[in-house]
Amino acid sequence: MSTVRRRLVPYFLMGPGLVWLILFFVVPLYFMGRLALESGTLATGFEFTWEFANFTDSFDRFDEQFVRSFVYAGVATVIALLIAYPLAYAIAFRGGRWKNALLLAVVAPFFTTYLIRTIAWTTILSDDSVIVDVLKAVGLLGDEGRLLATPTAVIAGLVYNFLPFMVLPIYSSLERIDVRLIEAAKDLYASARVAFWKVTLPLSMPGVVAGTLLTFIPAAGDYVNAFFLGSINQSMIGNRIQSLYLMELDYPTAAALSFILMAAILAVVVVYIRFAGAEALMGDEGEQRA
Amino acid sequence: MKGFKKLLFGVAMLIAALVVAACGSEGGIEGGKDEGEVPVAKAEGEPSGTVKIANWPFYIDRKTVPEFERETGIKVQYVEEVNDNNDFLAKVQPQLQRGESGGRDIMIVTDWMANRMRELGYLQDFDEEAIAPAKANLVPQLASPAFDPERKFSLPWQSGMTGLVVNKAKAPDVTSINDLFDPKYKGRVEMLNEMRDTVPLVMMADGVRPEDATEEDWMNTIEKIREAAESGQIRKFTGNDYTRDLANGDAVAVIGWSGDAVQLQADNPDIQFVMPDEGCTLWSDNMVIPVGAPNPTAAYAWMNYVYDPENQAQIADYNYYFTPVKGTKEVLERMGSDAAKSELVFPTEEYTANCSTQDEPPGGPEVVRKVEQAWQDVITGA
Repeated sequence: MSTVRRRLVPYFLMGPGLVWLILFFVVPLYFMGRLALESGTLATGFEFTWEFANFTDSFDRFDEQFVRSFVYAGVATVIALLIAYPLAYAIAFRGGRWKNALLLAVVAPFFTTYLIRTIAWTTILSDDSVIVDVLKAVGLLGDEGRLLATPTAVIAGLVYNFLPFMVLPIYSSLERIDVRLIEAAKDLYASARVAFWKVTLPLSMPGVVAGTLLTFIPAAGDYVNAFFLGSINQSMIGNRIQSLYLMELDYPTAAALSFILMAAILAVVVVYIRFAGAEALMGDEGEQRA
Repeated sequence: MKGFKKLLFGVAMLIAALVVAACGSEGGIEGGKDEGEVPVAKAEGEPSGTVKIANWPFYIDRKTVPEFERETGIKVQYVEEVNDNNDFLAKVQPQLQRGESGGRDIMIVTDWMANRMRELGYLQDFDEEAIAPAKANLVPQLASPAFDPERKFSLPWQSGMTGLVVNKAKAPDVTSINDLFDPKYKGRVEMLNEMRDTVPLVMMADGVRPEDATEEDWMNTIEKIREAAESGQIRKFTGNDYTRDLANGDAVAVIGWSGDAVQLQADNPDIQFVMPDEGCTLWSDNMVIPVGAPNPTAAYAWMNYVYDPENQAQIADYNYYFTPVKGTKEVLERMGSDAAKSELVFPTEEYTANCSTQDEPPGGPEVVRKVEQAWQDVITGA
C-alpha cells in the first residue's frame, strides 16, 4: 500500500461519520443560528437583521425555566447515579449466570417507546391510583396531596426514563475491572470498604462520568416529562422552546433559546469534565493516546 | 486532556464558521400575505383517487368513512391530527409556505384560524359550482359569519359550545365558571389552552361581555387565570386531551367542548356538559382547502356527501355537536335518535341566549399578538 493511500485511509473511514455530522448537525445548526438572529412575525415574514436582542430578551423572560431545568436535571442525575451504581455493581460482580438476563431487564423498558412509557406514568401516578392511596394511608402524602403535576413526578419521570443510560456505562466499566486488583488491595490489608473507595470506584469513574453526562444532557433539554407529569409550575426550558416553536410560531426566540440552552449545557459539561478529569471519561487508554 | 482541547477548539471553529456564513447570506424565512388573487381549487371531471382529511379527534363516527368509500370509490385517508389550532398551524406552516399541503385536501380549523390561514395565503377558494349541493343545505344561521360572509373558502364541519364539562359525582355544585376558582377544587380543574375558548368565558364570569371587552379586560382576565395557575388551583391547560384527565379522575371540572361530554358519558355517566350560568361561547370548525391540495375534486365529493342530511345524521348522532346541515333533525327523529331531542345538538334560542361568538381581542394584529404572548406565558408558566 502506498503511503499516500495509507494516509488517506483514516479520512476515508471517517467519511460516513463526517457526512452524517455535517448533514444533520452542522447544517441544521447553521440554519438555527441564522433564525436566532432574525426578527419579525409569521404574518409579516421574518427578516435577517442580526437581532442579538433575541438572546438577551429570551434569557430575561425565561430565566426561571432555565434554572428549573438545570435543578431538575441535576437532581435526577444524582438520584439516577445512586440507584444505578449499586445496581450495576450487583450485576457486574454478583450477577453470575443471570448477568445477561439482568442487563436485558435494564434495557427492557426501551422496547416500548419513550412517549408511551411516560404517558403510562400519568396513569400510574394519577390522583385515584393505588400508589397515591398507599402513600396517603401511610401518611407520606397529605389527604389533599397528589403526585402528578408535582416536581416529584417530573424528577421521577426523568430518573426513570434515563436510568438505563446511567446503568450501562457504569456496568461496562465495572465489568472491565481486573478482580485481581481488588484481591491485591485486600492482600495489602485494605478492608472491603477501603478497597472499594481506593480501587473499584476510581477504576469505574469513566463509566460514572459517561453515565452522568448521558443522563444530565438529555434531561436538561427534556420536555416530555414536564409536559405529561408536571403542570405549568414545573415547566422546563424544553417546554418553553416547544411552545415558542409550535404554539406562538416565534421561531427566532425559540432558536435563540435553543442556542442558550446548548451553550449552558456545554458550559456545565466543560466545568464538570475539568473537575472529573477527561482521563476519567476516556479511560486510561484515552490518557495514553492524548 | 489534549484530545479534549482539540474538541473544544473544533467546536469554537465551527461556531466561528457559522457566524461567518451567517453574514454572507441574505433574507430569512419568507412569510406573509400573498398579495395576488386567491386561487380557486377547481374541480375537474369525476371524483376519484384518494382524499386526505385532517380533523380533530372524536369528530366522526366509524361508519361514515367506509360508507363514503363504498359509494364513491374514493379512498379516504382520515387523520386525527388537529389537537389545537395553533399547534396544527405550526405543524403545517412550513409546507403551506412552500405551497404544499402535505397531501391534505381538507383541513378542519376553527373560525379564527380559518381567517388567519386565509390571510397568510394558505387557503384556496371553493369552486362554487362543485360545492353548490353542499352549500344549498347549509343552515342559514351559519351562512354568513363575519370572517367569510359568502362562505367562499370555509364550510362548517360542526359547530359547538365551549362551557363546563363536569364530573357530577365529584363536583355536583359547579354551575358557573367562577366555581372553577373555588379552593375546594384546587388542583382538580383544567382550562383549555385555546385562548379564544378560555379567556372570553372567564371574562363573562366576571361580568364583562367579550363583545365590549377592551385590551385591558383581556389582560386582567389573563392575569386572573395566571394567579389561579400559579397557586395550583388550575392543574393544567389542555387541548382535546382533557378528556383523558376527566376519565381517569385527575380533573373533576374543566372548560371543555359540548360534544366531548356526551362521548365521555358513554364510559362514565357522571360526566356532563353544564351550560355556565353566565353563558357559553359558540364557534364553528370549518372545512377548508389548503394551497397545493392534490385532489380538490374528491374534497368536494366529500363535502357534498357529509352535507346530505341522511349522512350528516349519522355523524351528528355520534358526536353531539350542532349540525350545520338542514334537515338533519328530521332524519334523526326518524332514526329515533336521542340526538334529535338534545339541547346540545339542536339548542333552543333560550338555551344559548347568553352565549357569545366574539373570540378576538379588540384592536388589530398588534394587540392580538401582545395578548396572545401574555396568554402563552400563562399556559406554559413563564
